Order: sequence, then C-alpha cells, then structure tokens
Amino acid sequence: MIERDDQHLKRAFAALRRKDAAASQSFQATVAAARARRAGVPRRRALALAAVVVVAVIAVVVASTWRVQKNDRLVIDLATVRWQAPTDFLLKLPGVELLRSVPQLGPRGLDRRIL
Amino acid sequence: MSPSDLPAELEQLHAAAFGWALSCCAWDRSAAEDVLQASYLKLLDGRARFDGRSSLRTFVFGVIARTAREVRRRAALRRWLPLASLLLGPEAVDGRPDPATALVGADETARLMRALGRLSARQRQVLHLVFYEDLTIAEAAAVAGVSLGTARTHYERGKAALKRLLEEEPE
Repeated sequence: MIERDDQHLKRAFAALRRKDAAASQSFQATVAAARARRAGVPRRRALALAAVVVVAVIAVVVASTWRVQKNDRLVIDLATVRWQAPTDFLLKLPGVELLRSVPQLGPRGLDRRIL
Repeated sequence: MSPSDLPAELEQLHAAAFGWALSCCAWDRSAAEDVLQASYLKLLDGRARFDGRSSLRTFVFGVIARTAREVRRRAALRRWLPLASLLLGPEAVDGRPDPATALVGADETARLMRALGRLSARQRQVLHLVFYEDLTIAEAAAVAGVSLGTARTHYERGKAALKRLLEEEPE
C-alpha cells in the first residue's frame, strides 16, 4: 500500500501520532466528561423550552392586542353619518317642498275662483 | 462482540480515535475532545450500533467522522441563530487550531500539519487514515463514505500535493 518513496511521509505521520497520543486525555476521563456533559443536557433543554414558551406567549399577546386595535380603527357606523356635499343645494329644485307634501282637498282647500 | 466488551475495545482504539477526531476537526483540540465525547456516548448508549459488517475500528472512525460533521453543522446553525445555543449547548467548532496547537513551533510535525491544512478535506482525511491510522484505501473509503475509486483518487492527488507542499515549506 505504502510505497518505498512514501516512507518519509509515514515517518512524519508517525511523529504526529506520537505527539497527539502524548497530548490526549485518557479513555476513562473522556467518557466521564461525556457523561457529565450529558447530565447537563436536560436542564439546557428545559431552559430552551421555557424560552420558547415565553416567546410564544408574548407573540400571542402582541397579536391579540394588535388585532383589537385594528378592529377599533375599522368600526365606523355609517348609518349614523350623513355626509352632505357643499354643492348639494344645486340639486334642490324650486318648489320641491310642494312636490313632497300632500295637497289638502276639501271646502277650505279649494278655491272656486280658480276652478 | 458483546456490548459489555465495547468499553474495553474502545479503550484500545482511544489513541487512534483521538488522532482521527483531531484530523476531522482540523487539529482543534477542544473540538476534537467534544467530538470524541459525543461519539463515545453514541457508541456506549447504543445509538450507534456495531453490526459487524466492517471492522470495529472502521465503524468507530465512521461514527467520529459523522459526529464531527454534525458538530460543524450545529456550530454553523449557532452562528446564525443565537437562541439555538440554548438548545444545542455551548460547544463550538470553528475549524481553527486552538491556541496550544497554534503555539506549536517550527518542528517537523508542525510543518506536516500546515501542509495538511492546505489540502482539501477529503484528501486530508484519506491520507490521515492511510498514513496515520494504517488503514487500507478501501477501509479509508468506508470511513469517509466515498467509493473506492474516489478514495484512491484523493489518495494519489493528496499524496502528490502533500509532497510538493512539504518541499515548498521552509525547514
């Protein structure tokens, strides 16, 4: 696999391996550190869950408040409002009151001279 | 191999596994220790189960390589999402050598590490597995999750590049 002219690479890697091995923790220490780190995971997850719940509650409150404000702005009772344009008087015909009122018929209402 | 034998087998592989974790983490020592711890937990808890299809050494190295990739992805996610650090934990792998490693002077291993750092990740992995861990190219391909032909290409090109880089490196 490793050719003759690769021997110097092999020696360099062997030196690196010796150096790494000297710097490594023992197996027992590594496993103990791993187990200790795992013990801290449920607390971290609980914290994360609490943070997510708080953010969700804040989001719901903000959304509901915003919706109420939005509805308040939109409530306009059009039935109570009568808007008149400034030029409405132009549409009024002379004698329009006579057209909207019922004439009185009878002896007092009739002028025989006109008839 | 029974599950009760696993700790003893892992202890036999520990030095080589640490070297492989270092290589997967670009010689960031603290990141390599994190990756190795997470890998051992997977193996000892049964989340990564050895089914005998390869050698235990190849299997363990594959678990370490996958764990290193997961840790890198989590570190990238943590950089983008500050809240994720609560869920994913405080550890971070940034791919840079730790200060102790950076202080390693001008000895021959430092030259080798600098030269390896200039290779592509795949070339570095395959060369490490073959020269450092004494695996065959086929075993290295299994660990790195690539085909034998791809691993052979990475091996040949990486070896040529490494020789050239070591010649260019000042003594």
